[in-house]
Amino acid sequence: MQFIKKTNIDFVAKRRFALITSGVLILIGMVNLIIKGGPDYSIDFLGGTEIHVRFSNEVAVTEIRDALAKVGYASAEIKNFGNATDVLIRIEKQQEGSEVSDTIISTLKDDFSNNTPTMLSVESVGPKIGNELRTQSVWAVIFALLLILVYVWLRFEFVFGIGAIVALFHDVLFTLGIFSILGLEISLSVLAAFFTIVGYSLNDTIVVFDRIRENLRSRRRDDFFTVINVSINQSLSRTIITSLTTFFVVLVLYLNGGEVLHNFSFALLVGVIVGTYSSVFIATPVVAEWGYKQVQASVKSGKKRRK
Amino acid sequence: MRRNNLLRSIIVGIVLVWAAVQIYPTIKVAQLQKEANIYSEQLQTLSNLDSDEIRAGLNAGDLPARLEKAIEDETKLQDAYALAEKAALLHDDIVKEENHAIKRGLDLLGGTYLVYEVNLPQLTQNIAKKHDARLDSLLAKIEKQSGASESDYFNTFSNVFNEAGIRLSLYFGKRIQKNDEIIKELKEQAADAVNRTLEVLRNRVDQFGVSEPSITKQGDNRIIIELAGIKDVQRAKEIIGKTALLEFKLVKEPDVNMAILQDIDNALKAKLNRMDSQTKVDSGNDSTATRPAARKDKEVSVESLFGEGTTIGDDSATDSTVLVDEGLVKENPFLSLLTSFPGSRNSMGLPAKNLQAVKRIVNSPEILKAIPDNVKIHFSNAPMIIEEQEYYEMYFLKKKAEITGKYLEEANVSISSGSQSFNQGQPLVNLKFNTEGARIFSVVTGANVNKQLAIVLDGKVASAPNISGKIPGGSAQIEGSFTMEEAKDLAIVLRAGALPAPIHVIEERTVGPSLGQDSVHAGQFSLAVGIVLVIIFMAIYYKISGLIADVALLLNLFLILAALAFFHATLTLPGIAGIILTMGMAVDANVLIFERIREELATGKTVRAAIDAGYDRAFWTIFDANITTFLTALVLYQFGSGPVRGFAVTLSIGILASMFTAIVVTHLIFDAMNGKRSLSKLSI
Repeated sequence: MQFIKKTNIDFVAKRRFALITSGVLILIGMVNLIIKGGPDYSIDFLGGTEIHVRFSNEVAVTEIRDALAKVGYASAEIKNFGNATDVLIRIEKQQEGSEVSDTIISTLKDDFSNNTPTMLSVESVGPKIGNELRTQSVWAVIFALLLILVYVWLRFEFVFGIGAIVALFHDVLFTLGIFSILGLEISLSVLAAFFTIVGYSLNDTIVVFDRIRENLRSRRRDDFFTVINVSINQSLSRTIITSLTTFFVVLVLYLNGGEVLHNFSFALLVGVIVGTYSSVFIATPVVAEWGYKQVQASVKSGKKRRK
Repeated sequence: MRRNNLLRSIIVGIVLVWAAVQIYPTIKVAQLQKEANIYSEQLQTLSNLDSDEIRAGLNAGDLPARLEKAIEDETKLQDAYALAEKAALLHDDIVKEENHAIKRGLDLLGGTYLVYEVNLPQLTQNIAKKHDARLDSLLAKIEKQSGASESDYFNTFSNVFNEAGIRLSLYFGKRIQKNDEIIKELKEQAADAVNRTLEVLRNRVDQFGVSEPSITKQGDNRIIIELAGIKDVQRAKEIIGKTALLEFKLVKEPDVNMAILQDIDNALKAKLNRMDSQTKVDSGNDSTATRPAARKDKEVSVESLFGEGTTIGDDSATDSTVLVDEGLVKENPFLSLLTSFPGSRNSMGLPAKNLQAVKRIVNSPEILKAIPDNVKIHFSNAPMIIEEQEYYEMYFLKKKAEITGKYLEEANVSISSGSQSFNQGQPLVNLKFNTEGARIFSVVTGANVNKQLAIVLDGKVASAPNISGKIPGGSAQIEGSFTMEEAKDLAIVLRAGALPAPIHVIEERTVGPSLGQDSVHAGQFSLAVGIVLVIIFMAIYYKISGLIADVALLLNLFLILAALAFFHATLTLPGIAGIILTMGMAVDANVLIFERIREELATGKTVRAAIDAGYDRAFWTIFDANITTFLTALVLYQFGSGPVRGFAVTLSIGILASMFTAIVVTHLIFDAMNGKRSLSKLSI
């Protein structure tokens, strides 16, 4: 069986169109993000308390709101979660050392003793930890990108590294934009998903780059754009098959992974699609656009050989 | 055989055997656990103990004793003993195997992850040799600055003192010491305090009967506690977080009390006059509450009494009115907040509503000056209820404690036989001092007969019994209005010892057992469905070759689990997600190879040549592509904590394992198929 026989699509010719489309889509996402004043951070980064309670019977959100208002948490965000017996209580930006979760839990236990509340999960992050996690995340992202740039630079050419990094920014910004438009929270696990998207997209990009590198050596008479086109077409079948299998498993995870992994697997789902798209339509065109002379010159002079 | 296939086969064989050996304990534990659950259920029906108590008994090795308490019937008890013996043997086996099995994370088991921070400002305050308002304000400033910038607390500490031009030796260390030396000593003392805190917390946590509690230090002043499978997290937090500083302090005599009250009143009056605030008593708000003493109460807002901007606490929702005695409020603004009721000899009562306001007044700098240096004001730890109204008591105590919990040898709970009628049947905590403590205690009690000795726990007065005579034996009792459970918890923390400084939770992540169960099911189900989907897809798309890739895929899963067991790594829900993702991505290597082989076949190469060329050409692509994913997983591991880390672990193990199975193992299978007789056609 074979989905894709021999293709001969002129990807390079479509590069401007792809760059503009992606640029516009990302811009929409970023404008949305800016209007909102930044991403919807979860309490991991903001600091705060999130309690997931299951009552034995259905419960009215207003009743809980009244009970919490009495103990001073009138501003708590309270909503049903999944079904009518499950409630999520969220309080942002608490003071350091204030035992918010304890107060809320005992209030619920006292006020709803005839509708036994069970704590499914409690997360409480002090502002200090929230700040630390934010700083750490920024450093981790910078560090990861640098590491990738250096690796790709060493193994390929500098311009390939740039192409890979541009594609990664594209993927992350795109996913971030979608999260912003849909109002989904950026939590620690979503951040982990972003890292995975970066890893996955890169994996995909490298496969195409590798083919380009190989073809630049074997097809010395062809011009640069032809080599790129041939390479993308040659690896297209593989790109689609791998993306499909990965997409399947992530979809399964999204549908069955439960609430805990919901945003995480959604980010991956978007990431797999965008990551596949970007290796063909972003990373490679960037190389085609800016690396034309540089790559041709250095490869033909035989500077970089397979390691 | 060509190309060292013999050697390769041997390597693959060794790896497989190794993996089987690694995974075996995990399977064994699961089986043993099933058996153990049966015993546990039988014991539960026999004894009415719940599964937690039985587990705690097995962990502590005192299950027979617990059963003896719980079962009255003699034959039943004998049955239970027999079961308990078997359960204990099984438990030993499980514990032994568990050390080699894959650990499940808190998010799967249910449990709590708590990060505590030792309160360094409070600690330094405790260490200080001299206390005054200037020190308090400096420490407050340090706390504020170091909190914002997160810079090292002690750097800020020395900076603030330098800026203020105050020598550290005024408050810390010896007079002749330089600032640097003192800072160094303070750091050592702080480190020592954190280590002592760690020890005390270990002792406290050991009382829970949680299997494998983990208590680790993070950074300089943080402590991470992980309790798997604990059900009552709130209670655990109460026990862990209590400072449990026990002090015995003498209560001041009535004449001293009156003088102090008068001084406070004068100081407060002066302050109010300065603020030029009128005491606007809202006459439309007449309170008709029953009151113990003959006084005319008014409900007035705090602002109207003490000026604008003086709301109590930081929460606007809190009722910010106080009850005042109308007849007294002008002349004696402070007294007007208090009340007296029968039974309180040397203490002042106050309506529960006024507690925050009174606390605020007596802690303000102007009023503190009016209070003698050797006196400290404490409040009772729980309200008294008289005629349906709640009242707290305020005590003037001698600042220096006569004796502290440091000398405690034993603390346990018993039921009061009732020295006073309202205490009868109430649980109380019996204290026993060690030899030195007993000596001090006997001297103190002997010298202060007929005075009141307040028992102060974490700054709050639990009770203030009268000393009726010298107590030589070194035993004392804390009576208070606690429930049996509160009394038990108090005994636990007193036995384990006081913390050198208060600690507070800065991060909590708790997963209830039911959510943990849900996650396990969701993870297992997704994994199974994901694998089956990929396997079917590969088999359809690449036929026989696809099946070979499927073998590699399953082998990959096997190796990931073996590696997790080998590193004794923790499997979390994101970790399972990592495995699932790996299953999707792992076939990539085979896809790359197979696509290459197809290309090579298309150019007219023989099957053998095409296979070899496919593997050769795809290798570096696979290597480069996987290494970059591996690098990002490494960064994620470095940065992440808990569950996220679990994801990075399984992802990176998965990548390495997939390179082995997809490249080495599948190639071997192809070669074996292609062994004696060369294939003329390849099913791909």
